[in-house]
Amino acid sequence: MIDALQNLTIAWFDPSLLMLVALGTFAGIYVGAIPGLSVTMAVSILISFTFSWDVYEALSLMVGIYMGGVYGGSRTAILLNIPGAPSAIATALDGYPLAQKGLAGEAIGLSTTMSAVGGLLGILVLAFAAPAVSEFALTFQPRDYMLLAILGILLVGSLSGESLTKGIFAGALGLLIGTVGLDPLTAQERFTFGVVELWGGISFVAVMIGMFGVAEALIQLRELEMAAVKQTISRIVPRWSDVRKYLPLSLQTSAIGVLIGALPGTGGDIAALMAYDHAKRVTKDPDVPFGEGAKEGLVAPETANNAAIGGAFIPMITLGIPGDAVTAIIIGALFIHGLNPGPMLMIEKPDMFWFIVGALLLANVFMLIFGLTGIRIFTRIVEMPRAVLIPLILMLSIVGAFAVNNSITDVYWMLGFGILGYFMKLYGYQVGPVILGVILSRLIDENWRRAIISDQESLPRLFQGIVTSPLSLVLFIAVVLIFVSQTPLWAALMKPFRTKRTPPPDA
Amino acid sequence: MNRKLMGAVVAAILAAAPALAEFPEKDLQGIVMWGAGGSTDTVMRSVTPHAEEVLGSDVIIQNMTGGVGAIATKYVFAQKPDGYTLLLGAENPQLYKVMGLGELDYSDFIPINVLARGVPVIVANNDAPFDTFTEMVDYVSAHPNEVKFGTTGPGGLPSTVTAMLSSKLELPVTEVPYDGDGPAITALQSGAIHVVPVVMGVAIEHVKAGRVKPIALIDVEPNPLMPDLPPITEEYPDFATYLPWGPFFGVFVKKGTPDEAVEKLKEAFAAGAENQEFKDLMAARGYSIMNISGDEAVQFLEKYQSVTSWLVHDAGIAKTSPEEFDIPRP
Amino acid sequence: MGPNNTRKPGEAIFALLLALLSLGALVKAYGISGFEGLSSPGAFPMAAAAVMLLSALVVTVNTLRASRDSDTEMFRDILPANAVMMAGLILLYAIALRPLGFLPTSLIFLFVSTLILAKRGVIFAAVVSVLSLAIIYIVFRLVFSVLMPEGVVPEREILAWIARLASGGAE
Repeated sequence: MIDALQNLTIAWFDPSLLMLVALGTFAGIYVGAIPGLSVTMAVSILISFTFSWDVYEALSLMVGIYMGGVYGGSRTAILLNIPGAPSAIATALDGYPLAQKGLAGEAIGLSTTMSAVGGLLGILVLAFAAPAVSEFALTFQPRDYMLLAILGILLVGSLSGESLTKGIFAGALGLLIGTVGLDPLTAQERFTFGVVELWGGISFVAVMIGMFGVAEALIQLRELEMAAVKQTISRIVPRWSDVRKYLPLSLQTSAIGVLIGALPGTGGDIAALMAYDHAKRVTKDPDVPFGEGAKEGLVAPETANNAAIGGAFIPMITLGIPGDAVTAIIIGALFIHGLNPGPMLMIEKPDMFWFIVGALLLANVFMLIFGLTGIRIFTRIVEMPRAVLIPLILMLSIVGAFAVNNSITDVYWMLGFGILGYFMKLYGYQVGPVILGVILSRLIDENWRRAIISDQESLPRLFQGIVTSPLSLVLFIAVVLIFVSQTPLWAALMKPFRTKRTPPPDA
Repeated sequence: MNRKLMGAVVAAILAAAPALAEFPEKDLQGIVMWGAGGSTDTVMRSVTPHAEEVLGSDVIIQNMTGGVGAIATKYVFAQKPDGYTLLLGAENPQLYKVMGLGELDYSDFIPINVLARGVPVIVANNDAPFDTFTEMVDYVSAHPNEVKFGTTGPGGLPSTVTAMLSSKLELPVTEVPYDGDGPAITALQSGAIHVVPVVMGVAIEHVKAGRVKPIALIDVEPNPLMPDLPPITEEYPDFATYLPWGPFFGVFVKKGTPDEAVEKLKEAFAAGAENQEFKDLMAARGYSIMNISGDEAVQFLEKYQSVTSWLVHDAGIAKTSPEEFDIPRP
Repeated sequence: MGPNNTRKPGEAIFALLLALLSLGALVKAYGISGFEGLSSPGAFPMAAAAVMLLSALVVTVNTLRASRDSDTEMFRDILPANAVMMAGLILLYAIALRPLGFLPTSLIFLFVSTLILAKRGVIFAAVVSVLSLAIIYIVFRLVFSVLMPEGVVPEREILAWIARLASGGAE
């Protein structure tokens, strides 16, 4: 225990490690905020950059970037309606409307605080329940991943805006985009038209930058002359009553974040969207409707995506199995530094575990500090003249799409989806479901096929497997319930109850 | 107009530059054909810093994923053969021709250094009702299609080793495909699959921790990392025709690169492969250092291509026969 | 379905185009592996394309039934000059990026677009574009080592030359 405490605090009392975590977190916020820079990219560059460093130093910087980067995505989502990272897509839904009301400062303050709450909860689970959680995550079978992904795609219902049909179209389009390229399981070409550059598929970051960045910039061009919304920044640190009010919700959404983060193959982006959907479901009477600046819609994804960080480290440290793309790279970094990431790491080098937990805690604190200061400068971005801002956004979009995989093809896709997204936005199609579809496409496709192959191509056997496994059964029931609750059937069933619940007019 | 101006400025700068030294005059670009954090990526990122010391220039490493590495291969091939663009690759291009993934392979490149080779092992879930390879073969024949084998897309190590096994043995298993050996070994522990062939480096830590059990070593001699595991040829000498076989990592430049650059690069990466730190890293993961170049490397690459192409062809998963490309049968 | 009982200019054509796109995708998806089996590589793409086609058809029918929205105009609200021009500019940018290189293309793009959009004169546009390009170059190329297409500017030679000058000066 003393040992653990000692290792936990290594980074706290060593000035150079402390500085590196701070530097990483600070840089991470900007990496996350700029749509073309991703944490994955930053961390992989750091592998080479920190090659000759001590492993603690390298990890301090990486952990800081990771924490700051996941949080930083919310900045541009709130201020510009352009999520800086995939995990901030849901944040834009209610964050941007708040900024349009001149409440950007308050929105950033709340998202910062709640990110820290989520981050902290994720770290606590990592510190005290890592082995149990990773064993649980390992019990997920292909069919469970498939059910989880189907549960995810049902979120289209919450993301569709005014027309469910258009939302379904957008979601299916996303699923289709996700299948382009060489099939990862059979190397069969799908929608590649014989073009080698399409074999790798369409990068979903390119789709995201196009649909959110370019499309949004083009939309805002139509209101070039309109004066920017003046931001009042009287309140940044959220009221204690607010924090308390959202605490129960944030506990639930953090739990979603930790679990989704801990599952190998799913990360903060899916967690944030699921948490948003959860918030919408459990919040009976939001002060402001969702989509128009509901604070619950901001709290949920921001707690979940930061909680997913702790979650992603769980299988990584206990078993050497990455929980998401960033932890996969950190595993590579540990290897290069002469460590052997795997199930033995916890036994041979328990100090690594506690050091990472300590560094994460520290990064969480720095995130809170840097997040709550300097907001004034950040909100200036929205007040910049659009004529200067928009060309910059467009150029960043191009550089960013290129940087994902150093491919000019991704730039063309990004532009194509930018134009498509522009028209979709104009004609009342939401672009959120498209991204959701792209993120979930491979998860559904591959696990569906694995599940059905494992059961000898027999649907009855697959179904039998689902009802006889408790985990699969729970997921299956959730899928059915959510599906039914979104179709007209449910509304008809609930009608007699709902009329009673209509609040009486103000007396 | 603007372009002319730019040209003039550049010309002026170049004229003023100190006399240009020998290769390399500027930073190099290294294209890794697999994603960041993967085994190819980590191997390349651990060897290049040592090579950079000899080169005196930086090698900027970039990941260009997709198409089983075909996109990166095509990209490097499309660049000028000046030695400034390196292909940091794995074994995959040697199968592109028979898999219908294009006309390129390593014969279109000059091997700067084939750094290291991995040894495949077959690992099983701890609960599987067999502990050795022979027991597995018996169990599989007694329970056809019940044992689930993890594989990857055609050309990946698990699918090639499975093809190797089925070429000599009757092995009715259900093959469940995964994205790579990392996800497959995760699935093995969850019980979604029972057996998976992977490269030793992926399995070693899980074996040490007792989370999975090794049942066969696909090599002709025992490995120091798993000394108790007998090589497969002890009981099935037939497999010796294919062995030693294993995935490898190498540094390549396009054919036509000037000799001066090739020699300098060879010197640099040989020094990198010699570095003790790098050797230790590779040994801990069960990779054998090869550090070969020139004719020796070409021969190694050709043997790999011939063995593997014919294996996947005989297993019925190749799109085109190796004969079409004059790849000799081993 | 859906509360919008009016349609914007071009909305019907857009819906029709999406339906056509879905149909094309469905045909292409069938071409991957036909109805080979539940686990074939084409099964999931076909399902996705079928859902696309179905929903696109419903949207098209609804849109055609809706009455024309008289408040929006094609060239004021859907395709305003600014948006069309910028879309054209980024297209040119993307085409010129590889042959001409990142630095010159970006500079021209930023300069021209700021000049036209801001209407604040040549000097303003020049200052803004040079400054922002410098920041982006430092962040992406120097900090994050993203090698953008070099085109006509031999960037790496220039950087090596600067590095040599700097190290020479230090010795």
